[in-house]
Amino acid sequence: MPVGEAASAIAAKKLSPVDLTKALLDRIGRLDPKLNAFIRVDGDAALQAAKAAEAEAMSGRLRGPLHGVPVGIKDIIDVAGLPTTCHSKVRADHMATSDAVCVEKLRGAGAIVLGKLSTHEFAIGGPSFDLPWPPARNPWNPDHHPGGSSSGSGSGVAAGLFPMALGTDTGGSVRNPASCCGIVGLKPTYGLVSRRGVFPLSFTLDHIGPMTRTVADNALMLEAIAGHDPLDPGSAAAVQGHYTKGVERGIRGLRVGFVRHFHETDTPAHPDVAAALETVASTLQKEGAEVCDVSLPPLGEFGAVNRVILQSEAWSIHAPWLGERPGDYGMLARRRLMPGAFMGSGDYVLASRRRLEMIAAVEAVLREVDVLLCASSMDPACRIDDPVEVERTYPRQARTPFNTTGHPALAMMSGLSSGGMPVSVQFVGRYFDEATIFAVARAWERAAGTDKKHPPIG
Amino acid sequence: MDKALIELLARRAGLAKALAEFPDDVEAAAKQAADVASRIKRPADPAAEPWPPMKAGTGL
Repeated sequence: MPVGEAASAIAAKKLSPVDLTKALLDRIGRLDPKLNAFIRVDGDAALQAAKAAEAEAMSGRLRGPLHGVPVGIKDIIDVAGLPTTCHSKVRADHMATSDAVCVEKLRGAGAIVLGKLSTHEFAIGGPSFDLPWPPARNPWNPDHHPGGSSSGSGSGVAAGLFPMALGTDTGGSVRNPASCCGIVGLKPTYGLVSRRGVFPLSFTLDHIGPMTRTVADNALMLEAIAGHDPLDPGSAAAVQGHYTKGVERGIRGLRVGFVRHFHETDTPAHPDVAAALETVASTLQKEGAEVCDVSLPPLGEFGAVNRVILQSEAWSIHAPWLGERPGDYGMLARRRLMPGAFMGSGDYVLASRRRLEMIAAVEAVLREVDVLLCASSMDPACRIDDPVEVERTYPRQARTPFNTTGHPALAMMSGLSSGGMPVSVQFVGRYFDEATIFAVARAWERAAGTDKKHPPIG
Repeated sequence: MDKALIELLARRAGLAKALAEFPDDVEAAAKQAADVASRIKRPADPAAEPWPPMKAGTGL
C-alpha cells in the first residue's frame, strides 16, 4: 500500500498502525532471507511505536502526514539506540546516541522506524561478499544486484517490505537502486535535506533522498525531511517547498530538454534502455510538453570530476582507519577509498574549478528548458555473482553529473527489459524546483502505469 | 605510475600496512587515481574559481 493511502487510512481510523507494522514484519520474516535488505530489523521498537501511533490516531491526534507509516533507514544514517554500521566491520561496534535530522523529521511526521538497511560498505564498496553482512539482492530476480549504494532501501521498497526508505546519493546511490529495482528515487538539491547524523562519504557531494514506490509518496516524504538546518554547514537557507500540491498539475507547455548524447554517444546504452527513453520522450510530448534535444559536457568528464572530488574528500575521512586497519574493510571499499591517497591538492582544486564550469553549463541549459530528460543506468541490473559484469556496468550511468552540480534529479522505471528487469529514466530540474520534476515524473507514471508494476515476489 | 613511486606515495600517506597486506589493492587505487585525474579538462580561464565558493559569514 502506498504511503499516502496508508496514512489516509490510518487518519480515518480504517487501518491500524499495529496491524500494518505486524503485516510488514511478517513479510520481512518471509522474504528478507532471500533479499538481505536489512542489517537489523528493530521489530520490538517498531511495534511499540505503532501502538503509540494507534492510540494517538484513535484519539484524533496525528503527528503529521506520515502518521503510523513504517520506514526503512539506510545504515549510514543514525537512529538513536542502534548501531550505524555502514555495513562495515570498521563500524560494527558503533552506537548512535541520537537520530539524524532526517530521521528526527520523519518521526516528527509520524513515521515508524522498522530497522537499518543494507548498503555498499561506507556507501561505496559493493556489492561485496567479504563483509559482516551479505549484500542486498534484487526482488525482480534475486540472482541480480539491486544497485547501490542504497541497496537495501531499493530492494526493500520494491519488494514491499516497507513503503518508503531513506537513501543517500554521492555519485548516484539513491537513483541507481531506484533504477535497478523499478521504484522512485530522488536526489534533492544539494543542501535541501540536512546531512547531520549521516556518516559522510564526500562532504560536497553527499545528498539524502527519499525512495518510494510512487511519485506522490516521494513528494510526501521529501516534504517531511526537507528544511534548513543551521548546524549543517552545507544546508541551504531556501524555504522548504510544498511538493505534494502540484504533483497532478500536468505538464502542458513545459519545456523538456532531452540529453541524448549521454546514452547515444558518450556511453551507448543497452537497446532496451534507449528504446524506453524514446517512449518516455514521446509520451511526455503527448501529455503536452515540448521536447527538444540539448547538450551538456560529456559524461566521462563529469564522472572524472565527481571521482576526484569524492575520493579526495573520502580519503580525508578514512585515512586513519585505512592506515591502521585496512583488513577491516572489504576489498572493493579499500580499492575505492584509497585513490585519494594518490591524488594531489592540484587534482582536487582543478576538479573543483572545472565543477563550477560544469554547473554553469547545466544552468545555461536550464534557462532554456524547465526539466532535463536523460538516462540513469545504461543497462538493466546484471547478476550479482558476476564481478566482471558488475564492474563493467556500474560506471555506465548518467547520475554523477548532478551530484557534481547539485541539481535535483529523480530516477524511476521507464519499462522492463526483454529479460524482465527494470530499466530507467532520469528527470533533472532547476535548483530547489523538485516540484516540477515531480509533475513530469507523475505525468510519465500516470501514462505508463509504472506505479502498478511490482516484482513477482511473495 | 611505477611501482617504486606507488610504494613511496603509499608510505607517505600512512598506507604501509595496506601495502604489506593488500599490495594489489594499493596498486589498483594508485592507477585509478592517475587515470581519473588525467581525464579532467583544465579551465581555459586561469582565473576560473572553484566550487563551493568561499563565503564569509555563512558558517555556523
